Amino acid sequence: MKVNQIMSKEVISIKPKDNIKDALMTLFKYKISGLPVIDENQRLVGMFTEKDILREILPSYIERVGRFVYEENPKSIRKRLETLTGLPVSLIMRKEVVTVSEDTTLCEVGQLMLLQKARRIPVLDNQKKVVGIVAREDVIKAYAKEAGWIVSD
Amino acid sequence: MDSKRLILKFILLFGLTFLTGLISSRIGFNTQQVISMSIFSVSVFATLLFWDFRVAIAFLGVGMLLLTKTVDLENIIKFASLEVILFLMGMMVLVGLLKESGFFAWLITLILRTKNLTAKKFVFIISILSALLSCVVDEVTSIVFMSAAVLEICDYFEVEPTVYIIISILATNIGSTGTVLGNPIGILIASKSGLTFEDFLFKAFPLMLICLLITIFLVIIWYRKSIIKLDKNMNELKANEILIRLISVPPEKKLRVSLSIFGITLLFISLHHRLELLWYLETNTLLLSIPLLSAGAIMIWKWNKARSYIEKDVDWWTLLFFMFLFAKAGTLKYTGATDIIAKKAVSIIGNNLNFLSGIILWVSFLGSSILDNVVLVAAFIPIIQGFQALNLNLQPLWWALLFGGCFGGNLTMVGSTANIVALGLLEKERGIRMNFFRWLGIGLVIGIITTSVAWVTLLFIPHYYR
Repeated sequence: MKVNQIMSKEVISIKPKDNIKDALMTLFKYKISGLPVIDENQRLVGMFTEKDILREILPSYIERVGRFVYEENPKSIRKRLETLTGLPVSLIMRKEVVTVSEDTTLCEVGQLMLLQKARRIPVLDNQKKVVGIVAREDVIKAYAKEAGWIVSD
Repeated sequence: MDSKRLILKFILLFGLTFLTGLISSRIGFNTQQVISMSIFSVSVFATLLFWDFRVAIAFLGVGMLLLTKTVDLENIIKFASLEVILFLMGMMVLVGLLKESGFFAWLITLILRTKNLTAKKFVFIISILSALLSCVVDEVTSIVFMSAAVLEICDYFEVEPTVYIIISILATNIGSTGTVLGNPIGILIASKSGLTFEDFLFKAFPLMLICLLITIFLVIIWYRKSIIKLDKNMNELKANEILIRLISVPPEKKLRVSLSIFGITLLFISLHHRLELLWYLETNTLLLSIPLLSAGAIMIWKWNKARSYIEKDVDWWTLLFFMFLFAKAGTLKYTGATDIIAKKAVSIIGNNLNFLSGIILWVSFLGSSILDNVVLVAAFIPIIQGFQALNLNLQPLWWALLFGGCFGGNLTMVGSTANIVALGLLEKERGIRMNFFRWLGIGLVIGIITTSVAWVTLLFIPHYYR
């Protein structure tokens, strides 16, 4: 089975100049963890995820200090969120994005998701334009269907 | 990095290396000495020009030394100073456990819980804590925690953290001279000179403490305006429940066990010389093996995390760089290059010990302000060993090297790894970029005064000659 058989063809995306607050609200609205960032030529320029926001608002030393847990939210977190409000997503989006082509196999996509810890992977055509997006759920659902766990959508 | 700059840097690297080779052959080095000198100088210049490539260049250098038969396999392995590497590795595992058990968070809560906190008290506590912490764990771990504490506390009291980060860095660099555990150059010097932990405790630690107190006094004057502002905000905002509860106190049992292991390790390390005498062991055998025993015990206790301690907490990148650097520095001694330098030095400046120790102190002070101090000390060690053949008392020279190598870190903003790490955090966290000259002002004052104190001490106190 190939990716183009299971991917979502209607891709919810944002533009590099969209502001971070609006992009975050879009994530909340659609209950998804990440959005592809696409320029005016439909080319993928990055991926904006909840993880990027978390990385921006938490102190950068948090991973280096072991068990150094804040009981109260430090003031800095609110300040950082305020700073992010008016800024464009291009500033914090991840520029190196894992992508697949339409004829990538299901197994390969699953493997990429595991190895690269990607939840949603954009699908590109020959001209590198975004034609769809495949989520972990889509892959697992396809396997579940094959096993007969799911009869129809 | 743009390609034009890269090419320029490469030309500079080759030019400087070629120049070193040329000077070496002019002053009478034979072919092998010229090769070892040139390969070592590539490493030194590479740390200045190509920091990210330093390990690659170290690999290439050692490979070249072997291929050109400048040194044989047996000796290069000996010069790699595995004993120092294993010591550092053991300590890194121990620090990994301390981090995980919340030891550092617990230390920070001690500052947060200080009663009637005033700005001066805060400066005093962060200076003492930074210095003592960098005495017993490596300076990078120490500065990351101290910076985190300073950033959070300054944020709470709504003041700019720069001044307090600077104070913490200055104290860290000074504190790292206090014992063999603070700075890699401490254990490197101890292992090559035969100086013991006790020597450090009775000679380096008191001098470090004096320099630290002078530094605290000076920074309080230098930064009086910022301190008054912090005092004002402390009065207005008061240390209340939110501040005390900012960082959670870690779980007690694990912390207690980790602290006990750390305490026992420190106790045995401090008694190593006595025990070595008692058990007829070679000098520093216990000093170098205690961290390994502790690390082993930790990995039995936390067996399911043992792999993570070794893979994540041990900084292999740095250790490999050190190992190859030591191998290349050892080759300088092996080929006799550094003996020639030592002889030349004595023929030019004489064999007056006071003069020699002064030169080593100030040269290593200036050198380590731009170079990684481990690189500098690794280069100096074979030269100092070369003085032994000239029947000189090496003791004051080792201390001069230690103090110069550590205090030089305060001179410039890139003087030591602690500076780079803490200023990097300041920029990333608060968007404050340190200005070279802003640092140089306080760096010059503290650097020159503390090094002068060390100089006078080495000149006039016979304690450092025994």
